[in-house]
Amino acid sequence: MASKHVIATRHTKSIKNRFASRFLRSLLRMKRSDRFGGSRSNEGVRKRSTHRIKMAAYASMARAVGPSRTWSRALLFKLRNRARIQGVLRKRCLVSKKNKKKRVVRNKVIISREPSRTDTLRKLVPGGDSMDICCLLEETAHYIKCLATQVKVMQSIADQSLL
Amino acid sequence: MINRALLPAGGGENMLHFTDITVLERQRACIKWQQEQQQQQQVLQQQQEISYFTELTGVFQQAGFHEGGLSEVVTRSVKPDPGLVDNGWNNDHVVGFGVGPPYNNGSGFELNYGSISRTSSCPPPPVAAVAAATVKGSESVVSDKISYGVGRESSKKRKVDDIQNNSKVDAEEDTRDKRIKGCAEEGESKITEKNNNKNGRNNNTNKNNNSNKESSAGNSKDNSKVTEVQKPDYIHVRARRGQATDSHSLAERVRREKISERMKYLQDLVPGCNKITGKAGMLDEIINYVQSLQRQVEFLSMKLAAVNPRLDFNVDNLFAREAFPACSVNFPTIGMSSDMTNPAYLQFNPAQQQLVTCCGLDMGIDPPDMGFKSTTSSPESIPETFLDSSCFTQAHPPPAWDADLQNPYNVAIDQGRQASFPTQPFTGSIEASNLKMEM
Repeated sequence: MASKHVIATRHTKSIKNRFASRFLRSLLRMKRSDRFGGSRSNEGVRKRSTHRIKMAAYASMARAVGPSRTWSRALLFKLRNRARIQGVLRKRCLVSKKNKKKRVVRNKVIISREPSRTDTLRKLVPGGDSMDICCLLEETAHYIKCLATQVKVMQSIADQSLL
Repeated sequence: MINRALLPAGGGENMLHFTDITVLERQRACIKWQQEQQQQQQVLQQQQEISYFTELTGVFQQAGFHEGGLSEVVTRSVKPDPGLVDNGWNNDHVVGFGVGPPYNNGSGFELNYGSISRTSSCPPPPVAAVAAATVKGSESVVSDKISYGVGRESSKKRKVDDIQNNSKVDAEEDTRDKRIKGCAEEGESKITEKNNNKNGRNNNTNKNNNSNKESSAGNSKDNSKVTEVQKPDYIHVRARRGQATDSHSLAERVRREKISERMKYLQDLVPGCNKITGKAGMLDEIINYVQSLQRQVEFLSMKLAAVNPRLDFNVDNLFAREAFPACSVNFPTIGMSSDMTNPAYLQFNPAQQQLVTCCGLDMGIDPPDMGFKSTTSSPESIPETFLDSSCFTQAHPPPAWDADLQNPYNVAIDQGRQASFPTQPFTGSIEASNLKMEM
């Protein structure tokens, strides 16, 4: 039991370390790009940078966990496809707006029933749509752990940068 | 029945018997199927089967077959053949049964069927396909029995027969159950299984014959699914007294146990979830916690986004004026070491100042803070920070730093909350300085 606990703590610690290093690296990269692009403190720019930092945090968390978990896999997949989809969308926007509108209308899914608690949880946990309840709970547990670590690390970074 | 199925499995050190038995079982199932189609030659085939049966009993006796348990079961479930109980599966009695059919057609056949079915249910858990075959066979047997039952005179015997059928179905189910359960382990589990079987039998005897047939057919399919799913890792299912033993409820119970186990784990993870009882409330709490964590991440990223430009500003303009006073104010107690390190940084920074971008510098400043925190907690690593600072002044190539820097802070890591963190700013700073060097 004791050894198991030690291994678990070591594992979480390594995840923490990996996440922190990745996150800091991506922050640095972001800053550099901001620096070279010229820093303006508009509201829109700040919002965008917030979003970018958030996405960087999630991405670095998912990369730190690796593809061993369903939620991290889903997150990585989403992140990988995000750029591609956005690029495609942008192109489509440029090409024709009508098509896109039609497609959006067609893709709308009307949900009649009230979403249950499980559905809410499914929405919260990335990749939770395609899980059964057992799997969902397990992934939720791991996801919560990782989120807590993430919050801790980000908090310490923020505190440190405030000093 | 099931005891017979269980005991060889429990006490079976020799697996060879198992394979033999399964082969026998398959043959028997085939033969039985043929029997229903050609009812004229039944007597002969039954005699064949009886020969199989005798072989089987031999095998069982080799495998250390318990007489006591057997007799108990037989007395409990099967009334018509007390002779078997007395003599413990003597061959003579079996032969007598085989001779039976010519004397009185109706009841004699049934008795034979009963005995055969018992033998078929005897062997330890067979392969799924074989089991399915036996299910088929049993169904046909059941139908046959129904047809015979019309012409039967004594209702008592029919009842006995029903019991036998039911027990056979039970046996099949229980072999499945056992497969889900994995390997039978101790006598205790056997005992519980016995109890279950009793219960199950009682339940099933209450049902109709037809419903039993249907349920057995349905169960066989679902059981095979369950076993396919759960084959790689055995799940121990132990039905307690009064719990249903059919596969659906067993699988459902396993699922519910799994869910509750995970819920317990989540309860430990989520703060303030201990007092809440009921899964709905717990789920609500979990959802709230996840949402709050995600919101926190968003908030922190916003904070970071807000903080970074300010830091850039600081670093760009007020670096020489503000940064070092801040450093010394933060760590006045350290005295000597701070005095020694500040010049080091002063040397370091002007040299780099023109080349360095903001990112490099503010990250470069943060680490010493962290370093001092850790040195205050552990005095041993102070000289090493000195070393590091000297490294900084001399601007050695990065690989050497990496090793030097990582070690002391890894030592210091386990002490505080920010513990594992300090290593990371250093790597960041090292990268930054690498970049500077390249630039």
